[in-house]
Amino acid sequence: MKRLGRILIWVTLAVLGAGALGKIALERGESLNAMWFVIAAVCCYLVAFRLYSAFVAARLLALDDTRATPSERHDDGRDFCPTNKWVLFGHHFAAIAGPGPLVGPTLAAQFGYLPGTLWLIAGAAFAGCVQDFIILFCSIRRDGKSLGQMAREEVSQRGGFIAQLAVLAIMVILLGVIALVVVNALKSSPWATFTLAMTIPIALLVGMYLRFLRPGRVLEGSLIGVGLILFVVVAGQWVADSPSWARVFTLGGVSLAFAIIVYAFAASALPVWLLLAPRDYLSAFIKAGAVFALAAGILFVRPHVLMPPLTRFIDGSGPVFAGKIFPFCFITIACGAISGFHSLISSGTTPKMILRESHARFIGYGAMLLESFVGVMAMVAACAMTPGVYFAINSPPSIVGATPDAAAATISGWGFPLTAQTMAGLAHAVGELTLWNRAGGAPSLAVGMAQIFSNTIGGEHLLSIWYHFAIMFEALFILTVLDAGTRVGRFMVQELGGRVWKPFGRTGWMPGILLSSAIIVGMWGYFLYQGVVDPLGGINSLWPLFGISNQLLAAVALVVATTILLKMGRTRWIWVTLLPMAWLVIITMTASYQKIFDANPRIGFLAYANVLAAEIAAGKVPAAKLVDTQRLVFNQRLDATVTAVLALMIMVLIVEALVQWYAILSSRRAPVLHESPYVPTQWAAGYSGVAQGDD
Amino acid sequence: MEGAAKNIRRFARRFWRGVREWCGDSAYERYLRSSVAQGDEGPRLSAQEFYVQQLNRRYSRPNRCC
Repeated sequence: MKRLGRILIWVTLAVLGAGALGKIALERGESLNAMWFVIAAVCCYLVAFRLYSAFVAARLLALDDTRATPSERHDDGRDFCPTNKWVLFGHHFAAIAGPGPLVGPTLAAQFGYLPGTLWLIAGAAFAGCVQDFIILFCSIRRDGKSLGQMAREEVSQRGGFIAQLAVLAIMVILLGVIALVVVNALKSSPWATFTLAMTIPIALLVGMYLRFLRPGRVLEGSLIGVGLILFVVVAGQWVADSPSWARVFTLGGVSLAFAIIVYAFAASALPVWLLLAPRDYLSAFIKAGAVFALAAGILFVRPHVLMPPLTRFIDGSGPVFAGKIFPFCFITIACGAISGFHSLISSGTTPKMILRESHARFIGYGAMLLESFVGVMAMVAACAMTPGVYFAINSPPSIVGATPDAAAATISGWGFPLTAQTMAGLAHAVGELTLWNRAGGAPSLAVGMAQIFSNTIGGEHLLSIWYHFAIMFEALFILTVLDAGTRVGRFMVQELGGRVWKPFGRTGWMPGILLSSAIIVGMWGYFLYQGVVDPLGGINSLWPLFGISNQLLAAVALVVATTILLKMGRTRWIWVTLLPMAWLVIITMTASYQKIFDANPRIGFLAYANVLAAEIAAGKVPAAKLVDTQRLVFNQRLDATVTAVLALMIMVLIVEALVQWYAILSSRRAPVLHESPYVPTQWAAGYSGVAQGDD
Repeated sequence: MEGAAKNIRRFARRFWRGVREWCGDSAYERYLRSSVAQGDEGPRLSAQEFYVQQLNRRYSRPNRCC
């Protein structure tokens, strides 16, 4: 009877989810309530977790709770700590949830709400969660080894080196792109710039409090810091209202780019306790709070989605970024559905802290489902605003026109009615000088979030506070990724450089620290600068480049996972990783080819370079703009080369893996697994990691 | 009624402990506990030393994602 009841509950959830998805997909004419998105997503996630993840856990991985995990065998109270599964879920989610699932869906909303939402849900259930879960499992069975180490041992030496290079390349592109998102969010906004600038002294203060006054008392320090940050969000309004102070904090794109480059260099080279770690604490608390507040706001306000399910821009002519729905919708969504970067976390800290193998399902698969839900909420927030406003914020002037009236006329001509007065009124309401040409996803998401928050608490007159809270939240945790990424990138540069010249590899040697910090910051800083001066808006070139590199890293992770599963003798179920891997290879290779060779200059890097080179050759470029145009030509060719090199690296890795797979399947080579030996757990069956002495 | 209040108190205690563990507030206590459990006789790090070492290790590998 009990069993029948359980079956009935799951059948009801499945029917409800299918019904909600059908409503989202088939609704035409009337605007749709956002609750349908929430119902569809939550029901699909629950069913996927209950059925698909259980199938992967039982049939593919055969998780074994009698086996001691690395945290039990190597417990040192530092890296290897047995951790309660809910706490570790929180750790893992805080580590994987970055700006990607917020920005990607916001940009992909230009195709309409439908394709992005479907890929967020299906991509997470069948690809992203599977990748995170299986890589976590593989790393647990190998004492918490990293993706690169596993690639080296299980695929080939060359495979490991390629994975290491791919991670560095992706890191550089990622940091450049997310820094561009911050620049576009702060451009010409004294309020937002002041608020973010003030987070630096606040982080320093918290850093010193935690280092000298109350060592390690993270909760106290963070509460003080969060309180101060909320105060400076409000104080930013006074700065914006004061003409002399507003002038100091009103910066253009290039100035902001240099400020961020200098800041990241300092954060990477300074002691980690002083700036990087306290900023990360503050960011983690504000991120958790803002994500819960957004979910609560959507449930409370239940906004109507005003964007159509599909827009005319599925043909590739989109103003936010150019390219057809296939493959660019998938490339743009990136982290909300599947992120290669997660495999670095799943083979980093988490496997060293996990208590039992069975927890890998809840933590690996479950945390990615939650990340996908954040992506769905970002999609709702972007699509709940008037479509004309969405396109006005995200379109560069070279596409829509340089003046507000011309831009409004162009956007209205696309079928999304808009007036220049509407934009002026909205900018005034959110306390900004202008909202035109703010591509990057952050400002449009902030407008969407602010509208949801202000409908929950405070109404119209708190709109500006909520907008700047949302901008601060996005910029704060993007800067955290920037700091932490620059520091990790510095170590990677030092490790690679140390192979050529030994002293350079010493992580405590100051000249090495400064030089490697300068190299890594110089690399991503160049991409940032290129994006800031790009007349097509920067995001048009760089976000797809980021998406391609991220999805290629996911393909690397799935290649490693497939190889390990084949070695484990799971040939029958190999499609679980092989199909998402094949899909990722298809979309990334198609996108790479189009970004390099497409004849449309808005899509193809080489076509754009050729158009500009022809203009220079024909003498059509004024002398004052000659150097800038030549640099643009160089940048486009650089982007084409980077894309080609990334694609080539992955092709080499896949060929290496295919050779391995053929040898295993044809029994030419006995598969050798590099798992740690089985050690039985000493923990009692009910041990959950919470009762450590003080329960 | 008393049972419900007891359950709420236990949940609140566990939740609080979970939050402290999540943000690293109880990391030093855990380190001391672990040293005792392992029978480690060597000198123990002070709270300050442990805090700085912990951060240096944590931020030398990818720990924040895109």
